[in-house]
Amino acid sequence: MAQDLMDRELDVLDKERVAPVETLRRSDEALRLPAVAPPTALPLEPPLVPQVGEQTRAVGLRAQRPDSRNHGLGLTRYIDDIALPGMLFAKIKRAGIASARIKRIDTSRAEAMPGVCAVLVGSEIPVNSFGPSLQDQPLLAHPIVRHAGDGVAAVAAVTEQIAQAAIDAITVEYEPLPGVYDALEALKPESYKVHGGDTNVYASKVIKRGDVEAGFAQAYRIYEGRYYTPGIEHAPMEPFTSIADWDANGRLTIHASIGRITLARCDLARTLAIPISRIRVIGTVVGGNFGGKNEIRHEPVLALLAKKAGRPVKGRFNRVEEFVASTIRHAFHMDYKTGVTKDGRLIARQVRMVLDGGAYCSFSETTLGKACILSTGPYEIPNSLAEGYVVYTNKTTAGSMRGFGAPQVCFAYESQMDEIARDLGIDPVEIRLRNMFREGSMSSTGQVLHSVKVKESLENAVKKFGWEVQS
Amino acid sequence: MIVTLTVNGELRSASVPPETTLLVMLREHLHLTGAKTGCDVGDCGACTVIVDGLAVNACLMLAAQADGRTVTTIEGLATREGLHPLQKVFEETGALQCGFCGPGVIMTSKALLDHTPEPTPQEIRTALTGNLCRCTGYVKMIEGVQEAAAMMRSPQSPALAGQSPALAAPEQK
Repeated sequence: MAQDLMDRELDVLDKERVAPVETLRRSDEALRLPAVAPPTALPLEPPLVPQVGEQTRAVGLRAQRPDSRNHGLGLTRYIDDIALPGMLFAKIKRAGIASARIKRIDTSRAEAMPGVCAVLVGSEIPVNSFGPSLQDQPLLAHPIVRHAGDGVAAVAAVTEQIAQAAIDAITVEYEPLPGVYDALEALKPESYKVHGGDTNVYASKVIKRGDVEAGFAQAYRIYEGRYYTPGIEHAPMEPFTSIADWDANGRLTIHASIGRITLARCDLARTLAIPISRIRVIGTVVGGNFGGKNEIRHEPVLALLAKKAGRPVKGRFNRVEEFVASTIRHAFHMDYKTGVTKDGRLIARQVRMVLDGGAYCSFSETTLGKACILSTGPYEIPNSLAEGYVVYTNKTTAGSMRGFGAPQVCFAYESQMDEIARDLGIDPVEIRLRNMFREGSMSSTGQVLHSVKVKESLENAVKKFGWEVQS
Repeated sequence: MIVTLTVNGELRSASVPPETTLLVMLREHLHLTGAKTGCDVGDCGACTVIVDGLAVNACLMLAAQADGRTVTTIEGLATREGLHPLQKVFEETGALQCGFCGPGVIMTSKALLDHTPEPTPQEIRTALTGNLCRCTGYVKMIEGVQEAAAMMRSPQSPALAGQSPALAAPEQK
């Protein structure tokens, strides 16, 4: 009997073995939809490397993303679609006050609530700081609150509702402190110092080329203007969500929709005081980044809650936290002074900008650097001086966002270009063409530029939107 | 409390706390994670599902309110034979980038096409006012809905081959 069974199984195996691969593949396809869309049918015959001066053949054609089918089917697994066994839900209590000293935090009612597994406050955290460049941001504020979105306490509970109820049951007593809410105010010597010390300026940059004063002396006219761009929230559709999970050997796994995994590991290793080799960060499909998901945010808090509770912890920002406790684009105050010749050539430009960095540094230095480099625009200006400062204010932290400062300065120099054109009676396109970078032009940083296509781009754009007809 | 729904043609029930929203029931109790939690307060539309033929924000409806009703989620659109025309067109036109808003947009569009097989661009825009998208700028989505509508109207359309009648025809209330 047993022998008979064995024989029968072998028969089945034999039959499967002889089935040609193609047949198997077809039967597989009949059973389910292909998860990945077929490759884009673009005419991308070789050479695939874009050639200088040649129109890329994909422009103007429809392109498919390799992941678009799964997006449309609802099969893409974003971070919030992941659940680990025994996972708790974390909530962070936000200060709701922009500048204050915490006098007392009472978590006893929250701790006594059934379903609450861990409560964390800033005073318990051994290394209470993090940040991608300057480590000036506390995980949970203690004792000074520097903006309304600062976390002051965190709870991990079995459900989101219980965590929220526990957060509401925590009472915090504040002693309000003076604050500073404007970047230009923050520059003044008598202003409130957000991080103590004698200044709110925490990064500065100067880029100099030629001699601006000599340039202004030669100028036919000098134009001065102040430009301002406000802070902007990235507003990704997917809120910040992360899961922290420790294994029995004391290794930490963070699942997060984050763009810079190694940076996150470095920052976590410093804050949690464990070697980077014991931290794994798994980046999930990102539901919109726009530069706002480049650094860790609530991950170390979740890791500490998970450690305390002994269970994995998920935290998800609500929409309000997304606005007040994430980073935003820097608000810029920009003063532009530009000297031009009679025929509309820029011969000197002085730029002074003050960036509103909010309460903590985040990616301010990178933003400031890029803004200063690009502040003279795509124009050949023999004499230029750009100075930039980032200041602390008691507002939402400003960080990286698409362009890292480039769009802000672009708004300023292009606005001024239009003012100059109008005043000199030169066509706005013409004045730009006269000043634009050419092959071999030198930028304000002294870089000699090659493959310069900015003139062609503008001419092409002018043709496409019918500028000639309009003017 | 026990809530019983017909989800994507299947009778499903779950025991949920009374404050559970339809979104949480679908995502956490029925493990249908296609509908997304974007804002949880009815602003973004990422959680849109179709309840008895109408597009609703699942985060604003209690699971108990949906008891006994028919719910269609993004997971219920495609069949073994093929994608729903909207899914096919959205894939081809690149109407989805990060994709987080996609299930909601597709469900709202499906509800629109079920009632209005030949929508004008303005009608599509009006229907999609409750669905926020941060990546695409909506242009390709609106084009996509128009294309899908044309595809669904043409009986020879290859996209509809093998489409189950429930999906090809407007849902009956």
